Amino acid sequence: MANEIILETESLSKHWGGIKALNDISLQFQDKQLHGVVGPNGAGKSTLLNMLCGTLKPTSGCIFHKGDQIEGMKPWKFVRRGIGRSFQKTNIYAEVTCLENCAVAAQRRFTGSFNLFASRHANTLVREAAEKALHQVGLADRINTMAAEISYGEQRQLELAMVLATDPCILLLDEPMAGMGHEESQRIIELLNQLKQTYSIVLVEHDMDAIFELSDQLTVLDNGTHLITGTVDEVRNDLRVKEAYLGKEDEEEAA
Amino acid sequence: MIFEKRTERLFLAIFFIIALCIPLFLEANSFFVGKITTILILSVFVMSLDFLVGRVGLVTLGHALFYGLGGYLFVILTPEYEAVNFWIYALYVMGLSALVALIVGVVVLRTSGIYFIMITLAISQMAYYFFFDSLEFGGGDGLFIFMKPDTSIFGLSFLNLDNPTHFYYLSLLAVLITLVAIKIILRSRFGRIVEASRLNPERTEALGYNIFAFRLISYIIGSTLAAYAGLLFALQYGYVNPQFMTWEMSGTALVMSILGGMGTIYGAILGTITYEALLYLFEHMSEDWMLFMGGAIILMVLLLRKGLAGYLEKLLEK
Repeated sequence: MANEIILETESLSKHWGGIKALNDISLQFQDKQLHGVVGPNGAGKSTLLNMLCGTLKPTSGCIFHKGDQIEGMKPWKFVRRGIGRSFQKTNIYAEVTCLENCAVAAQRRFTGSFNLFASRHANTLVREAAEKALHQVGLADRINTMAAEISYGEQRQLELAMVLATDPCILLLDEPMAGMGHEESQRIIELLNQLKQTYSIVLVEHDMDAIFELSDQLTVLDNGTHLITGTVDEVRNDLRVKEAYLGKEDEEEAA
Repeated sequence: MIFEKRTERLFLAIFFIIALCIPLFLEANSFFVGKITTILILSVFVMSLDFLVGRVGLVTLGHALFYGLGGYLFVILTPEYEAVNFWIYALYVMGLSALVALIVGVVVLRTSGIYFIMITLAISQMAYYFFFDSLEFGGGDGLFIFMKPDTSIFGLSFLNLDNPTHFYYLSLLAVLITLVAIKIILRSRFGRIVEASRLNPERTEALGYNIFAFRLISYIIGSTLAAYAGLLFALQYGYVNPQFMTWEMSGTALVMSILGGMGTIYGAILGTITYEALLYLFEHMSEDWMLFMGGAIILMVLLLRKGLAGYLEKLLEK
């Protein structure tokens, strides 16, 4: 692979008491690629994502970002390094407008947030960046609508816009298409296809068609362990994967 | 415009016009001027609490700690028989209070929710008993201020603090400054992140903000304003004692803020006036005034879910 490795985990583990939520995971995420992560419920996908963005501290193992060891840092420092995340459960500021949602995300990039006097509306760069993020996800006509008043699918798009507004280089997306209709999903897939030209994306998603379509690299987790990482075809043809995950689903569908 | 709502502008216009004129009518009755001065000073304290509880999301039950501290620090810092400059010593008092708020804040802000309520309560009770049991600081009787400070700026003196009317205007100025300062801060970039941290702390951290720092700075601001209110109160009555720091003081201020409409800031003024007016009314009506007071508060909280300010806004907005 020609692409540079931008994020790397080394024997990453998370144990809750005796339960091994994630065990000895070593992965490499490459720049400008979409790295899908799949696995049955409880496989540890969200746990992995939560550790990659700093909200969960690993029991053991390391995370490297551009060569620096970062797993001990505070979550907000991860964002400052350009690691942005979206949430599985919609996590927005429902009481304010969509624009304000993205303005909170964008403000840090342009001006000091410890300014007690300057009006929050004074900086045009913040506003422009927030508007741009809303445009990117297709919410341009919702700029001044309260986030609580837009549809569920639109809230998922807003969720994504907020991450984009932080100007990350790595996007950690936790099921961005969860609960979306077909048309909305299609739009997000299109968007992700564009985004992976410029960002490196780690995508956790239940929608198999979407993930097969989008992924350059695909990792399968099962029960906290790392089964395989490879291209979509390699994963599809892997026997262990069929047994652990896809196989079961086929049987269910047949039944 | 820092006052965004019509109701807010209307209320504040009426409030300041009436407040400016009151001494003209009550000049002869210094008891009432004094009483209203106290309400103004309390409004400053309640606004500072409303900022923390309603806007930053820090429900503190120990806010009176800083109210008392403002009074105590002033008396401790000033020489006993010498009129010091009010503005300079007010700055000293607020600076030292900010330092205390920094230290207390670093401790209490490690907790949240119910634990935050408990630890702020515990720390203010500790301070209460410290001053109550201390011989140097007058114990339960507290300390007295023998000389009112001098308020001249660059040799020009407009206010004589021995004159109740002058003191009244100094307190009104404090209300104005506090109100405007809090509104400017809330509208600022800092205010945006403070608001975001209250609405959704998890998300705000995931967007790259160290919410601890934002909360700490807000806590220092709120506490320093409370100390200024405490200083004014101590000056008005010429003493400070541990009663300033009781949890009842914090609790009453919280009730006033809820009554007025939590987080609206101007509602804090409204809540303070209403509470004090009801108290005055019931105290003169009946010996069982506490019963009436409690009943009235329960009724108002039940009927006005968003406080008096929320009710007015429902009537006047749109």
